Amino acid sequence: MNNKNKSCLTTIPVFIATFLIAFSTSVLAENKPEPIKVGVMLPFSGVYAGLGDSIRNGLKLALQEKGYKASGRLIQLVEVDTEAKPARASELTLGLVDNDKSDFVIGPVHSGVAMGMINTIRNKDSIMIIPNAGANAATGAFCQPNVFRTSFSSWQTAYPMGKEAANMGYKKIVTLSWNYGFGKESLAAFEESFVAAGGEVVKKILVPFPKTEFQPYLTQIASIKPDAVFVFFAGGGAVKFVKDYDTMGLKGKIPLLGSGFLTEGTTAAQGKAAEGLLTTLHYADTIDSSKNKKFRADYKAKFNKSADLFAVQGYDAGQLIIQAVEAVKGNIEDKAALIYQMELLEIDSPRGKFRFSKAHNPIQSIYLRKVVNGLNTVVKESVTNLEDPARGCKL
Amino acid sequence: MSIFTNKSEKLFIFFFFAIGLVIPLFLADNVFYINKISSMIIIAIFVMSLDYLVGRSGLITLGHAMFYGIGGYIFTIIAPEYETVNFWIYTFYVMSISAFVALIVGFIVLRTSGIYMIMITLALSQMCFYYFADSVDYGGFDGLFIYIKPETSIFGFNFLDLNNESHFYYLCLLSLFNCFVFFKVLMKSSFGRVIDALKENPERATALGYNIFHFRLIAYVIASSLAAYAGYLFALQYGFVNPSMMSWEVSATALVMALLGGLGSIYGAILGAFAYEGLHYVLEHVTQYWMFFMGCLIILMVLTLKNGLSGLLSNLVGDKENE
Amino acid sequence: MDTYFFLVQLLNGVQYGLLLFLIASGLTLIFGVMGILNLAHGSMYMIGAYLAYYFTALTDSFAIAVIISSLIALVIGLLIERFLISHLYKRDHLDQVLLTVGLIFIFNAVQSFVWGNDPLGVEVPSALSGSIQLTELLEYSDYRLFISLICICVAVAMYYIINRTKLGMLIRAGESDRAMVENLGVDISKLFTIVFAIGVVLAALAGIISAPIVSLVPGMGEHVLISCFVVVVIGGLGSIKGAFVAALLVGIVDTFASVLIPEISSMSIYLLMSLILLIKPQGLFKS
Repeated sequence: MNNKNKSCLTTIPVFIATFLIAFSTSVLAENKPEPIKVGVMLPFSGVYAGLGDSIRNGLKLALQEKGYKASGRLIQLVEVDTEAKPARASELTLGLVDNDKSDFVIGPVHSGVAMGMINTIRNKDSIMIIPNAGANAATGAFCQPNVFRTSFSSWQTAYPMGKEAANMGYKKIVTLSWNYGFGKESLAAFEESFVAAGGEVVKKILVPFPKTEFQPYLTQIASIKPDAVFVFFAGGGAVKFVKDYDTMGLKGKIPLLGSGFLTEGTTAAQGKAAEGLLTTLHYADTIDSSKNKKFRADYKAKFNKSADLFAVQGYDAGQLIIQAVEAVKGNIEDKAALIYQMELLEIDSPRGKFRFSKAHNPIQSIYLRKVVNGLNTVVKESVTNLEDPARGCKL
Repeated sequence: MSIFTNKSEKLFIFFFFAIGLVIPLFLADNVFYINKISSMIIIAIFVMSLDYLVGRSGLITLGHAMFYGIGGYIFTIIAPEYETVNFWIYTFYVMSISAFVALIVGFIVLRTSGIYMIMITLALSQMCFYYFADSVDYGGFDGLFIYIKPETSIFGFNFLDLNNESHFYYLCLLSLFNCFVFFKVLMKSSFGRVIDALKENPERATALGYNIFHFRLIAYVIASSLAAYAGYLFALQYGFVNPSMMSWEVSATALVMALLGGLGSIYGAILGAFAYEGLHYVLEHVTQYWMFFMGCLIILMVLTLKNGLSGLLSNLVGDKENE
Repeated sequence: MDTYFFLVQLLNGVQYGLLLFLIASGLTLIFGVMGILNLAHGSMYMIGAYLAYYFTALTDSFAIAVIISSLIALVIGLLIERFLISHLYKRDHLDQVLLTVGLIFIFNAVQSFVWGNDPLGVEVPSALSGSIQLTELLEYSDYRLFISLICICVAVAMYYIINRTKLGMLIRAGESDRAMVENLGVDISKLFTIVFAIGVVLAALAGIISAPIVSLVPGMGEHVLISCFVVVVIGGLGSIKGAFVAALLVGIVDTFASVLIPEISSMSIYLLMSLILLIKPQGLFKS
């Protein structure tokens, strides 16, 4: 037998095997109608994978507390990896909605993916729960009856810091973020309240996404000598920025303020460089409530790492589903009634209790936090029950 | 004169389109699979245009996704936001504008060759990517939406509704078929034979009096505007465009598909696109670490298949000579 | 723009450029000698950084981590060349590229499986954690200067090896005329093995020593890959000297574009590359 035929012999079985697996999974998935299907659309590979992991962990914790059951109906998860690629958002959403017949779809992390998902799901029956992506438009100009959010709007997380900065006596501030939606919205919200309180943004720097060479910008900041700097960065970029700010010697000389994502889930990697940083966010590690303490202890016990904000948001997405199903006594097929009940719910979150606004975004308190020993500790509650203005929403 | 090169190609095309024509009948209640196959077909068109460029013309590019993205963006930008437009008229607009862009881009990139051409196409597509990603008017990283899909009437006779998944599927299938036939006819034409000769032996072709640059430019424009057509279909399918359509990863993935299918075979583009997308779909539903198995399978295929999947098929069917 | 500002930015640019050189040198070496465009080069950078993280945590010594990680990278390089790439020498170069794409997938999965997806960081080794006061506000950390020093050492070492040793002679000969090297009775496959392994080690080394100043995240390899391409192409493929000049050029242009023309800074290095290729289609230093 010649070489060519041998190669055929090895390759063909591989193909057949993989397609058989595909077929069997899709057949198995179709047999049970009773369970409640929850599609989970998060990044499990690529830059945002860490956030995807945390959200999924939080979600699983919430469901496990109730034995994966609500009103006697079993809750089943179907997970897909978005790879944080907006181009795949619609296809994957349709897969969860039309193919897997998901009643709820939880996702995503990335705002670009979120817009693609909403665009696809708005004409469908499934209910979408956003456990992170903060694009203002998702519960603003683009709000939909069947889209809820358990996380935040960009505006909410940065707006309070403007007032805090003015209270601290800063007059001239440089703002800095990656040049993408989330970053620009955060800077705009900060500027809105900072300018209203009499401050001035002397320079706004937008760094191409996902560039992490910050030295030129830090040198520029040093030459401007502002009273303080306000930044938005998250994940790997936040780690790099905070470290660079420290090694370039700016830390301690020009105060660094941030939207809370600067120190969320990143303090372990940032080390000493993050100590003492002030940020605002709708959660802090040291919130003094029994709910938060229990959540953090359970999370640590189950996943062997500390809970962060993303885990909280995933946990609340799980709680929201369970409470919603119980509110309609398991009869989730009537979507209008389900949505009506969801709008009335109060979620007992580790961050504190919250309700939904008309646009389905949490009305929640924002904390001023300081990094102490790697923990985001509460300095004070900056704004109580802050509601996103939901600009452009007609709900 | 038959347009087919060999028996395996004939068989594959026959079975593929025969199954393609009837498959929606079996999937009528499952919109998802129809959508999934439609998007695979769109990718196959994109890969086919790249295959002609790389496999037949010998012009390797890592910036082909630029035209894929441009196709989608052109439609989204020039079509009025709240008005129903005609699909065929806008197909003409999209393809001619992209052809014009390709003419200018080709004029620049074809001055270089080999690895330098790969890099300069990469550079241009990255610039294009950042142009749209940084733009304020075109939605930045979040992209743009298409709210109203075009209608497809010809002389007042409307036979396809693009909001219907099956109709859209048939449009994609028809496009793929046309694209395939177009390339095969092109290959048989005198133009196509010059292109093939240029790839084999540029010096001799020049000695025979052919202007290499002109021929390559035309091939580049043709392939690029078909890539733009694929991007236009992609934009219509889910109603949105995003700069990530033109990221270099998309170009690289398309190149991988073309290679898997067997370079230069044209129909291999369909094989490559379906094999890659199919594997991706299957593996990501089996394990979170799908990338590991994907990587292993790609390596296995490179090591065992000399001329990609179309070469494998050719061996199975027993073609005497692959051309 | 005052002089101080200009000088500090120049320093930033040079420092970034030197790091780029270290990452890109392996890529251009492999391409120059073997004609392979190793797309998995960025993955080796990533693996190097993660190995440094792992062994620093394990041994509490960054220096030991550097040594162990480099050795592991060497082994990985040898294995890839012997068991995978060597089977493809008679095939089209594009097949080799395809193989390296497969490797990217595998390395990404391994990274995610072994180290998880949360961003990780490595502390700067305590001996180098000091800094130099530059201006009233700015400092420059010793570690960054140390990295620059390493990059310069690598550049000098490569220049010496290529121009003064037998291996270097073979590398130069392999670049210009492969058939001739074989006719001289040199085992070309051995040369390829060595060159590929060196290239991989250089990529990993860049990852290892930059681990303390970057954040370790999934996909970090793909980001540096593109910048490496730009450097390698501007310099002229296969030219170490070219890569060195191009890396500095890219570093400086990128730095100044960031602050002086922020509107188009995301495109600056691509513009630079296009311009240079239009004037010199073979890059700056094509032999």
